[in-house]
Amino acid sequence: MVFLKDWEDFEMAAESMYLKNSSNCRYSMKYIHSKGQLLLKLTDNVKCIQYKTEIMPDLKKIEKFTGNLAAHMASNE
Amino acid sequence: MVLLNNEELTLLTSRARNGSFTVTFKRYDGRDKPTPREGKPPLPISEYRCLIRAQSKSKKLSTVVNQNEILKFMEAYGKVMKTSMDGLKKVKKPKTKSKVAHG
Repeated sequence: MVFLKDWEDFEMAAESMYLKNSSNCRYSMKYIHSKGQLLLKLTDNVKCIQYKTEIMPDLKKIEKFTGNLAAHMASNE
Repeated sequence: MVLLNNEELTLLTSRARNGSFTVTFKRYDGRDKPTPREGKPPLPISEYRCLIRAQSKSKKLSTVVNQNEILKFMEAYGKVMKTSMDGLKKVKKPKTKSKVAHG
């Protein structure tokens, strides 16, 4: 359960973790309105990485990353 | 857990105005039976799809998105993200600030 501070770090770690074990990985995001927080989590039941943000500009990066990941999940690779 | 249309998944997030909601993405290989024992013919491999689950309080939704629909779905999901996650802080760009000051 590690919170990564940099978005780039999270993105890279998430990508390598997903590619290593794509069938066991799950990616979840939790939005807490009262705290104004968005938590991201990626785990393969062995390792777990997280990212936390409170600012709007991160949303765009997260949206792109999520789209890429989902597109990869639904592809034949 | 209810399996819904891809579009209907977006409804839940708009209901979670003053609480929180979680969305989970996972790869799904279309298997709904246990893997056969040795000596039995293996299950036919179907294409990979994306399983998406959403939860807010006790309300749960789930959906499976096919390969040809994933781009459309993620586009719609991005819009939902933008409209529902509006409690995040806005950061003003210093550029626009100076423009206002000059004008």
